[in-house]
Amino acid sequence: MSERDGRFGFAPEHDAPIPYMQRIRDYYQALGYGAAYRWAHYAEVSFQPLQKPLAECRVALITTAAPYQPGKGDQGPGAPYNAAAKFYTVYSGDTAIDHDLRISHVAIDRAHTTAEDSNTWFPLPQLRRCAAAGLIGEVAPRFHGAPTNRSHRTTIERDCPELLARCCADGADAAILVAN
Amino acid sequence: MCHQTVSLAARHLEANGIASIVLGCAKDIAEHCGVPRFLFSDFPLGNAAGRPKDPASQAFTLELALRVLETAPVARTTVQSPLRWSADPSWKLDYSNIDRLSPEETRRRREEFDRQKEIAKTVRDEPATK
Repeated sequence: MSERDGRFGFAPEHDAPIPYMQRIRDYYQALGYGAAYRWAHYAEVSFQPLQKPLAECRVALITTAAPYQPGKGDQGPGAPYNAAAKFYTVYSGDTAIDHDLRISHVAIDRAHTTAEDSNTWFPLPQLRRCAAAGLIGEVAPRFHGAPTNRSHRTTIERDCPELLARCCADGADAAILVAN
Repeated sequence: MCHQTVSLAARHLEANGIASIVLGCAKDIAEHCGVPRFLFSDFPLGNAAGRPKDPASQAFTLELALRVLETAPVARTTVQSPLRWSADPSWKLDYSNIDRLSPEETRRRREEFDRQKEIAKTVRDEPATK
């Protein structure tokens, strides 16, 4: 720590949000892959204010986690990256019951977390509690699983419309989407 | 990919009348895509809904997300959770940091990446079951 940092109480330079896009770009270039990935990027963003108080809203939950699949290799806790556990179509599940969802198929931070507690990526129990406490009107009848795909075309033209259709069919007013 | 996927989904829902909030740990990816509302937890990827084995942290995170969902004034509202992963921020230097990998480890990771890509391709090409 420099004298100035100590004097003014500055945080270390690296104590800032991780620049993932740059890290990932440098990483794959060093591994020997060619053109850098083009991340989705928009200048315009839609905004839909809630049409009624949240305490009256039906709220959907969308996750990138995958159902545990016996026979598809180590899915954690502590599993290395496991592409065999990936899924490529939108799926849904009943929010009234508990589910065993895992995140071994996505690039979580395996050095610093172990995926031992699904409540850190799939807050369905917490959402039910919020409904019981009256913070939201109710939990939508189904949660939805979103495939993570490098292909923008697949995500934008196939999976996003499917997620919307399912949320609409469930009468959702709002959605909580949890990334991994 | 995860953050990009949910960001694109949030945008699509929002454009079609469903208010959305993204919970995530990769601030740059979500904001580069552009989402209506974003709750950023400065935690290792995999903990967007709170700290492991810490129900109070998980409850706080979701309740904060609900407040942002209800009160965000405009699109691109990002709120950073005040929770800290660790008093020592050095964990942030590790993720996919090529400067911290030996040439041998870099080679091993390339082989593993190619192997996993082939597995993923096999899964993708299987007939859908759901």
